[in-house]
Amino acid sequence: MTSLRNKYFSFLTRTSLGWNFKKGRVSRRNLWSALLFLSPTLIIFATFIIFPVFFSFYLSFHEWNMFSSETSFVGLKNYSRMLSDPDFWQVLKHTFIYTFGTVPLNMVLSLMIAYLLNQKLIGKKFLRTALFAPVIISPVSAAVIWRWLYDPNFGLINYFISLFGIDTINWLNDPTAAMFALIVMGVWKTFGVNMVLFSAGLQAIPDSYYDAAQIDGAGRWAKFWYITIPLLSPTTFFIMVMSMISSFQVFDIVYVLTSGGPLGATKVLVFYLYEHAFKFFEMGYASAVAYFLFAILVVMTLIQVKYMKSSVYDVV
Amino acid sequence: MSKSFISYLIILIFLIAIFSCNTSQKITEDKITITFWHSFVSSTIPALNELITMFEKEYPEIKIRAQYIPTGDALIQKLITAVQSKTAPDISWLHSDFMQDLVEADAIYKMDEFIHGPDSISQADLNDIYPALIRYASWRGVLYSIPMEATNLALIYNKEMFRQAGLDPEHPPQTWEELHDFATKLTFDKDGDGKFEQVGLFLPIFPAAGPLSSWMVWQWLPYLWQADGEIINEEQTRVIFNEEPGVQALTLWQNIFNDLKLNTFTTDYDVAFASKHLAMSMDGPWNLPRFEKMMANLDWAFAPLPAGPKKRATVVGGEYLAIFKQSKYPNEAWKFLRWIIQPEIQAFWSMKSGYLPIRHAVSKIPEFQEYLNSHPNFKVFVEQMEVGQAQRPIDYYGIQITRYVAEAIEKATIGKMDPKMALDEAAIKANKLLSMVPREK
Repeated sequence: MTSLRNKYFSFLTRTSLGWNFKKGRVSRRNLWSALLFLSPTLIIFATFIIFPVFFSFYLSFHEWNMFSSETSFVGLKNYSRMLSDPDFWQVLKHTFIYTFGTVPLNMVLSLMIAYLLNQKLIGKKFLRTALFAPVIISPVSAAVIWRWLYDPNFGLINYFISLFGIDTINWLNDPTAAMFALIVMGVWKTFGVNMVLFSAGLQAIPDSYYDAAQIDGAGRWAKFWYITIPLLSPTTFFIMVMSMISSFQVFDIVYVLTSGGPLGATKVLVFYLYEHAFKFFEMGYASAVAYFLFAILVVMTLIQVKYMKSSVYDVV
Repeated sequence: MSKSFISYLIILIFLIAIFSCNTSQKITEDKITITFWHSFVSSTIPALNELITMFEKEYPEIKIRAQYIPTGDALIQKLITAVQSKTAPDISWLHSDFMQDLVEADAIYKMDEFIHGPDSISQADLNDIYPALIRYASWRGVLYSIPMEATNLALIYNKEMFRQAGLDPEHPPQTWEELHDFATKLTFDKDGDGKFEQVGLFLPIFPAAGPLSSWMVWQWLPYLWQADGEIINEEQTRVIFNEEPGVQALTLWQNIFNDLKLNTFTTDYDVAFASKHLAMSMDGPWNLPRFEKMMANLDWAFAPLPAGPKKRATVVGGEYLAIFKQSKYPNEAWKFLRWIIQPEIQAFWSMKSGYLPIRHAVSKIPEFQEYLNSHPNFKVFVEQMEVGQAQRPIDYYGIQITRYVAEAIEKATIGKMDPKMALDEAAIKANKLLSMVPREK
């Protein structure tokens, strides 16, 4: 713990503007000019991040429809209403299904591709760019592409499966297929980032380990299993935590691809929150849902840190 | 030069830049500018520009700045933000669902203040406007907006397909039975793979939580009325869509949906229609210009919606212009509203934009009559205005109640739930909300 604190402080002293912890005094002149130059960022940060965070916490104990200038205090009513709403438990379930559908698939796929692209390959740069492209495409245009791919009458996917004699599936209009369709698009849309992170992780593994293993007579698989996987574990851990969080927060692709349908089968937590906030204008209730989501994410991350940290090799 | 001097210099330059932006804007503002938010589709924009030019010629001191705003959910969100941040437009078009929120926030003017003001309009003029539109333009009986144009829903069908199926192309379905029967006859599996290549009728089933859900309910309403039903009772105390008429209307949709296997049919009905995969669909006049271009090689026509067990009915829609209290020039904004409802202007606007006129008097203009005779599809819509109905306004929780109806429609079709059960379930939720409305005795 102390070593971590020392690390943190040495980081601060190296990067801080104006503060000099070692000398224990603050150069006031430098501080003011630092604040001045930081002010655009600080103001934006304060207005759009800090203020909403606290304001929405405040709102979660109130009722407010955005129009009126006054809010009324309702105590824990928003939270109790949330917990007693069967729809809420439904969307929570969908969110878990989506998360546990995308995260493993996403990680396996991005690790596989990153591993392949780390080999000597022709057209590696092109492939890497092409595979990263979905991340950059705007979610709306991506969803339009996928809507057409999934279309029951004109879609390519149904055309391909019809070649194998499978009946047409209306991917986006069938309650069971829609979640699957959403997960596939979710993975496609986000695995590029993880691929880049895995690539960076792979490149950080020194060749000498592989060379040593080679001399010991290890095969490709053994090298992957006993060297790559363990040495990659800090990256893997980071990716897992981050993808878990972002999957829990999924919204844009749900909104444009399925709009939560059919029959609410793909309605996830943030979509539910959005609906209550910006369709029914129940800002207090939506804030309560947001804070519940925050609590889930904190708990999930803590669980991961507690149980996974032991299997992470700290190479640094 | 010290570093701090340079930094102050940079800040100074920024400040100058910011202030000079402001002054350059002021120079152009020698006229009164009225900001007008609308959501017309891009094909209507040239007609709108022509209309605005006409107005500006007549009122040279006023300039109308028309701004496109996405419709539906985005529009009300934008309006709320604008009202809160004191940047509301002078005029905006509205949906009647939004009226409650805007009135309660005291954001829009009552039209009475202008109707009896210096630029008054006569009661005869007001009475000439279709009552359905006046109903939508009001909230709890008070007029808060002025309709700019009307729309309604009719049936589009492919005549060629009627001929192929042995049906009379000049006899579109007249009753629910015919609608169901024709739709089934027009549906076939050409290559025998168990999948329909041609579907007889498209029903607009969309995710209830999505942006198209109120559009789905809107298209279901005429069927509810044709069976003599309503969404809510007269006293606004409970919903009645789960009574017999509602069940009949939803059962019709469920049967058609199942028989035509619409669950494996695309929701891009216009593409399906244009590519000869679909024989019938419902649509409004706003798509007429587009369809005429897109489907020039098809033999198609519009027909009135079939009559239900009780009566003929179609749903009327429109765009309603309201004046915001934050407007600096409410009287000038009113001049635009007053100008736009004149019969001649309405006739011009209708012929240019493809929207329907808002009042009876327009049909008496010879030029317009001529236009109707040469545009039979458009005529269908104008004539249908006579059976056009407005939804009984839902004063409280309109958005939520519409959502529950949408959920019931989705459950009965995609979810194959019993229509009565689906509607009852929705009614329980809606009535629970209505019971929370404070009522004065």
